[in-house]
Amino acid sequence: MNGRVARKSSQLGTYTVKSRFSQKMPQYLFIAPAALFVLLFMLYPIAYNIVVSFQDLTLMNLRSGGEFIGLQNYKEMIQTEKFGIALKNTVIYTAACIFFQVIIGYLLAVFLNQDFPFRNFFRSIMLLAWMTPLVITGTLFKWLFDVDHGVINYFLVSLHLIDAPINWLGQQDTALAAVIMTNIWIGIPFNMILILAAMQALPSDVYEAAKVDGASRFQTFWRITLPLLKPALLIILVLGIIYTFKVFDIILIMTGGGPVNATQVLPFYGYELAFVNFDFGASGAVATVILVILICIALIYLYLIKREEAE
Amino acid sequence: MRKYSVKQYALLLTAVIITGIFLFPVYWMVVTSVKPIQDVFATPPMIIPETIQFDAYVKNLIEDRSLLPYIKNSFVTAFGTAFLTLILALPCAYALARFKLRWANILLLILLITQMIPGIMMAMPLYILFSKFELLNSYLALIVGNTTTALPFAIVIMRPFFLSIPKGLEEAAVMDGCNSFTAFTRIILPLTKPIVLTVSTFSFLFAWGDLIFALTLATDEKIRPLTMGLTKFIGQYGTQWDNLMAVSTIAAAPIILAFLFLQKYIVSGITAGAEK
Repeated sequence: MNGRVARKSSQLGTYTVKSRFSQKMPQYLFIAPAALFVLLFMLYPIAYNIVVSFQDLTLMNLRSGGEFIGLQNYKEMIQTEKFGIALKNTVIYTAACIFFQVIIGYLLAVFLNQDFPFRNFFRSIMLLAWMTPLVITGTLFKWLFDVDHGVINYFLVSLHLIDAPINWLGQQDTALAAVIMTNIWIGIPFNMILILAAMQALPSDVYEAAKVDGASRFQTFWRITLPLLKPALLIILVLGIIYTFKVFDIILIMTGGGPVNATQVLPFYGYELAFVNFDFGASGAVATVILVILICIALIYLYLIKREEAE
Repeated sequence: MRKYSVKQYALLLTAVIITGIFLFPVYWMVVTSVKPIQDVFATPPMIIPETIQFDAYVKNLIEDRSLLPYIKNSFVTAFGTAFLTLILALPCAYALARFKLRWANILLLILLITQMIPGIMMAMPLYILFSKFELLNSYLALIVGNTTTALPFAIVIMRPFFLSIPKGLEEAAVMDGCNSFTAFTRIILPLTKPIVLTVSTFSFLFAWGDLIFALTLATDEKIRPLTMGLTKFIGQYGTQWDNLMAVSTIAAAPIILAFLFLQKYIVSGITAGAEK
């Protein structure tokens, strides 16, 4: 008796699951094309990078497939001096860019948050710097940083900030700084727009209360604006780090990683290994290191979002 | 018209100066391209050009037409990317917003993470994949490559848009005899114009400015887009900055045009992309 009931209910169970699935089928069809694309052209490549990083795969054995060589690629990667330099430069580049972009972006956002004629025009026109393809920006800044005829040297000399023109991109100790300045220029409007959007979402009554209580401008900034903006700023910061970390185009155009590795960064190094040396295994190892770093940053990002949602 | 105080006009003046300094590089690009070559190399640099001429444009667009195929390739790739992205993203974002599907959250998480992966990491595996299927040097390869950049962004910013459309609309449609597919195409799609414009502008611009996939997936000059054309010109022209800046200005023109006409959609796209 009991057994029959149990069997019947379990039958009922499979029945409802089945009908649920056939009912949900058309709904899954909406997602299927995009999911298939993501699986085939995005998740598969990521997995492929990891698999290849344990193989000896070059242009020679591309068709037959590489041989499994364990951690050999990683050992060689750590031993090459270039990897250390690239990692160091990527960290310096990302940190310097984000630091200046966020500060200048913040100041501009404060300025453009005031009420004056055509302010919306000024807010968006600056985005041109961010929207322009990086190849163009890179070429343009190469011209601006030119030793003999570059306008940056001209301005710096006329303002007596430097005595003689600097060969910005041609010498080891200034090349990275020049590339960083270029990318700061690109990223400022992006940060400005996002910080501005966050500022406009702040409640105005708190500021009125602060005014009534006689708080100074500095106090208002330190005690009210900054704490209120903190969640949004953290997300902007993490997004900025992720986007800056990707640096590739402007390095290729402006310096090609040189002079003597002065501007070598991880994504560019990975590119060189794959498409100049055709050492796909070694490139996969660099790609996997980038992936691990990005996943760590992404986890921080997701944690921050979760925490913000909980509040 | 609104009345503004003197202080507000002072702020306007400050804004003009700040924007002027900030966008000086863009000005310099255009100005260099319309100067005679001896003025380009004048010391001190001529901030305001004395003579304006369009020789560099005539030379690169009319006399020497080698630039035109690159422009065509860029348009094909960019329109193709925008089209593929929309076809894939619209139904997916809609379903993620509307239906309670078991895998929906996982897909959303995957999209958020893949959005952060550098394009160069996709390039090597896609190069190997496409070379196995003999698809290198095809528009399809470039379009697929660029869609890997555009798709996560598209879905992430479209989903909140669909969430904001009242659910009653489709319920009414279903009462009138629509199924979930026709409810989507007849009732919801016509409402999506603003978000479709934002997403297609962004995917177009992503693909237009792409260098990574152009560099790695297209080794044949016949298929390469304008960004690669520009790098070829850098090698060819060396320091002929007037020609280089003219080609750069031509390559930047669609961005500037998109900007003038679709500004609203661009700004909303950027701010929406930064929300979860």
